[in-house]
Amino acid sequence: MASRPDETGGQQISRRGFLGWVSGAGIVGSFAAGALSTYVFLKPRVTYGEPNKFLIGRPEDFPSGARMAIDTRRVCIVREGNKIAAISTTCTHLGCIVAPSPVGFACPCHGSHFDVDGNVTGGPAPKALAWYKVSLTPSGELEVDKDNEIQIGSYLTV
Amino acid sequence: MTNEKKSLWKNVVELPGNFWRSIFRNPLPSSDRERAATSFTNFFLHIQPVRVNKRTLKPTTTFGLGLISFYLFIILTLTGILLMFYYVPSTTQAYDRMLDLRSSVAFGIILRNLHRWAAHAMVAVVFLHMCRVFLTGSYKPPREFNWIVGVVLFILTLFSSFTGYLLPWDQLAFWAITVGTSIAGYAPFIGKMLKFMLLGDVTVGQEALLRFYVLHVVVLPVVLITFVGVHFWRIRKDGGLAKPEVEDEPKAITAPVAAPVAVSAEGGRKFTVQGLVRGAFVKVGVLDEDTVFSWPNLLIAELAVLMFTVAVLMVVSYFFNAPLEHPVNVMHPPNPAKAPWYFLGLQEQVSYSAFWGGVGVPALELLLLVLVPYIDRGKEGIGVWFSRKRFLANLLFLIFVVINVFLIIVGTFFRGANWQFVSPF
Repeated sequence: MASRPDETGGQQISRRGFLGWVSGAGIVGSFAAGALSTYVFLKPRVTYGEPNKFLIGRPEDFPSGARMAIDTRRVCIVREGNKIAAISTTCTHLGCIVAPSPVGFACPCHGSHFDVDGNVTGGPAPKALAWYKVSLTPSGELEVDKDNEIQIGSYLTV
Repeated sequence: MTNEKKSLWKNVVELPGNFWRSIFRNPLPSSDRERAATSFTNFFLHIQPVRVNKRTLKPTTTFGLGLISFYLFIILTLTGILLMFYYVPSTTQAYDRMLDLRSSVAFGIILRNLHRWAAHAMVAVVFLHMCRVFLTGSYKPPREFNWIVGVVLFILTLFSSFTGYLLPWDQLAFWAITVGTSIAGYAPFIGKMLKFMLLGDVTVGQEALLRFYVLHVVVLPVVLITFVGVHFWRIRKDGGLAKPEVEDEPKAITAPVAAPVAVSAEGGRKFTVQGLVRGAFVKVGVLDEDTVFSWPNLLIAELAVLMFTVAVLMVVSYFFNAPLEHPVNVMHPPNPAKAPWYFLGLQEQVSYSAFWGGVGVPALELLLLVLVPYIDRGKEGIGVWFSRKRFLANLLFLIFVVINVFLIIVGTFFRGANWQFVSPF
């Protein structure tokens, strides 16, 4: 129906067939565009939660040997001598908050255990706790950037 | 003039009767013909067949599980709409509104209890309904597609319940959804995106509450109602309940309904049953002796199931209050943090392997459920509980059920702080 031989012997598409194809493509295209727009609409461009870059205080607020979990920020500030690091307290398993334990960290939800550096020592967690970049601002305050994950064991020296 | 006055007076006198007859086209049926007409001239009754097999009405054939699921959905819709009048999907107000339901809203407690227990019951009953359909081999051709619609309805039921779980905005809700949505995050490729779209943020917060609310009160119910419509329609078109094969030729009687059935309104259209039903599955003109008229037999059975459902739910809601824990504290997960009970089997699996337990195995199970009617196409043992001819299929299905129920029981009762194994006794 859609085609008939033309004078040169090749296949020529009929007007009706052509319009059918164009309409079909238009309808499918409209649906695809609609679905895509809906996706773009539903995916938030801005979020209203906590910012990922924040100040946590001055270096002297954290005495040597301190392991202070800041639950609101979901990081644990660790200081050994003059070295400072920020370890994530969000469990890599299902997002619960891990609590500092005598041997490192423990997750209340599914029983994952981590050592003091955040390496997995037990439970279902698939990877180690993240370490975030800590920097010293010109005002002398420490700033944690949770968008910037760094290698385990990289400290800021103050 | 006098004639016009007379007829006007007559019309006024007859108005109540005429009004009534314009709504209900048939008088209360007293003959078989009228019983048939009642079924297919009434909008709400025409979804049902005119005659129904006696087997269908026997309680042990289905235990009314599909019907109970539907009634629970109706109850959930009604109580849900009422609760919406007092609920605000805001992280600062939602929990207070829960307390208000308890203290200052008339019937607030019983409404919330009904809604909560009906939601839990619906998850359980829909699953039991699925078990009934499998164990009686009722998913076989021509009912394959309706089985798939049923699986979709089961998933929609789970999601409806899950999205509702967050709305009280208490500790139970918050951490159950945190754990539940993290499981979604483990899906390959799309997991992270899916979680972000669902929550509208990287963590559970105001955006997530609003999104879950919209899904819970609009999107999921509308999709669910649509699929329920298709499900019911297909039951009729696929020939009603699955029937066991009959050894002898069915005894046939000449059916009186084959004659034209007049709608009682004067000058109304006349139709024959042939004009209304067609297809290979409805026998026209030849009826089995073991069928009875839907009016009133089926109707009475349905009302009985409705009364049973409402009565049980009312008693439970009267004696047991829906749980409400402390308001959300984002910093302090309860230990252990548990998902809703129907996902605790999943959570138990997840504690062994996040990907396989949370995504891989469930996806595989769902795929198998969907494909069952296309894998098992044998024509034997249909419409009978635990048919010997379906021993293998039923055994495999029961193993699947027992494993999942076992995992849910372990997750619910045998897991304590840090998801350590504890004894509940």
